[in-house]
Amino acid sequence: MNELLLQGLVNGIVVGLIYALIGVSLNVIFGVLRVVNFAHGEFIVLGAYAAYFAQAWLGLSPLLAMPLVFVIFGAMGYGLHFMLVQRLSRSNDPEHASLLVMFGLSLVLGALMLLAFEADARSLNFTLDPPFLMFGNIILPTTKLLGLVVAILVTGALAFFLYRTMPGKALRAIIMNRDAIQIVGVDLNRLSALTFGLGLGLAGITGILVSMIFPSFSPFIGQDYTLIGFIVIVLGGLGHPIGAVAGGILFGLAEQTAMVFFSGTVAMLLGFVLLIAVILLRPAGLFGVQNSR
Amino acid sequence: MLKVDQLVKKFGGMTALGGVSLTLPDQSILGLLGMNGSGKTTMLNCINGLYEATSGEITLDGVSLIGKSPHAVFSEGVGRTFQVPRVFHQMSLLENLSVALLNKGLSNAEVAEISAHWLNKVELYRLRHNYAEELSGGQQKLLELARIMVANPKLVLLDEPFAGVNPGLALLLIRIIREMPKEVGCSVLLVSHDLTSVYELSDNILVMHEGKVLAEGSAEVIQSNPDVIEAYLGA
Repeated sequence: MNELLLQGLVNGIVVGLIYALIGVSLNVIFGVLRVVNFAHGEFIVLGAYAAYFAQAWLGLSPLLAMPLVFVIFGAMGYGLHFMLVQRLSRSNDPEHASLLVMFGLSLVLGALMLLAFEADARSLNFTLDPPFLMFGNIILPTTKLLGLVVAILVTGALAFFLYRTMPGKALRAIIMNRDAIQIVGVDLNRLSALTFGLGLGLAGITGILVSMIFPSFSPFIGQDYTLIGFIVIVLGGLGHPIGAVAGGILFGLAEQTAMVFFSGTVAMLLGFVLLIAVILLRPAGLFGVQNSR
Repeated sequence: MLKVDQLVKKFGGMTALGGVSLTLPDQSILGLLGMNGSGKTTMLNCINGLYEATSGEITLDGVSLIGKSPHAVFSEGVGRTFQVPRVFHQMSLLENLSVALLNKGLSNAEVAEISAHWLNKVELYRLRHNYAEELSGGQQKLLELARIMVANPKLVLLDEPFAGVNPGLALLLIRIIREMPKEVGCSVLLVSHDLTSVYELSDNILVMHEGKVLAEGSAEVIQSNPDVIEAYLGA
């Protein structure tokens, strides 16, 4: 029993870090732009397809595809900000407007992926040698271990960017006070566009990790990832980038350890119970600050 | 030199500023007095680009500020504080100041040196690693003032700097504001309900009433102006 629990905990950390990346990218976008990106999951799935076709057509391994996907998705996000998101800020109620527009975008992207890639679930043909590593009686697939390392590196790089570089500090400053950042000489529009680019770039990388770690992906699963992202950011604290890391790991641990004892459906339910408990006990999330804006 | 010429700002059918003109020479302090709703803060918002003026002209050293966004106005050398300080709560004091130097192309050492100088000036250096949210309201006003001063502005807009500040910190604020024109070479547009401080600090005073200029002159002139006494001073 203890070994099974340990196995669940290890799986929980691996999956939790993937969930954390979903939450972090969603949270950065929400924190800076106040945009509820309902299409986030679709961009993650698009990232998974990008890895699939980069391998099929260009022979690129998922690891080599990551920087390429980050740049392409980042540029797409930067452009999309000026085409779509910036217009939302002129609305009387930008948050609700963004919710509806991004939900629409989610449906459009899902339908386009269905048209382009068909409904069949696909898997990435990516294995490492040896396929498994044994730590005592704990089995860890090497792809999952690699995914874990990449997720840690990406999270570390993001934390470095946010806390140690000037653009990262400006980005955090926007989250804290949107008005004040403008009066200290920061171009809000440009930084918002960079943030949307960063968020989608991270979504692309997360999609590749998803395709490496989970058995398959299809055009239908985008909203599942969006839902996970929202759970994670509510757990960690809305708009708090690093809070999402804690939220993701917590949710991953709860889900994966519950799977040791119960079915997948019950495990998912337990995740929601955890979410409700955090909302009741700490409404602003684990790292959220009430009335800080 | 700041020149505001026939500035009009309307919100729908309501006229907040009805053709206000003022001149603020270099290295001087202009006090802006008026009842609540007289248009003082609207004036500051128009100057620093938070509001788009309906008509009129605003120039700083001959450069028009009309139509510029707040960050562009900041780049022209205009710094601004608010009645309720808008600091970055979950950043250290040093980080708060460093954000204002983002586009200055300075090295980390230069940013640290300038930030340390101004934190010393506002007597917050010992708290430099604390989060801004740990400061009192008055200390946050000092931090906000330091945050605009690090950028070496030409013009500083201060909105109610003494509101809610304890007497000890208010004295410190008065001393810093008095020294700013000579030390930094900036001019100051000071909006405040604290008449004593405005009289003490200002080279010239402008009184606004219902979006228009009611009177302008030295403290003595303003205090003896019958229109001001009737409309604002009430004595």
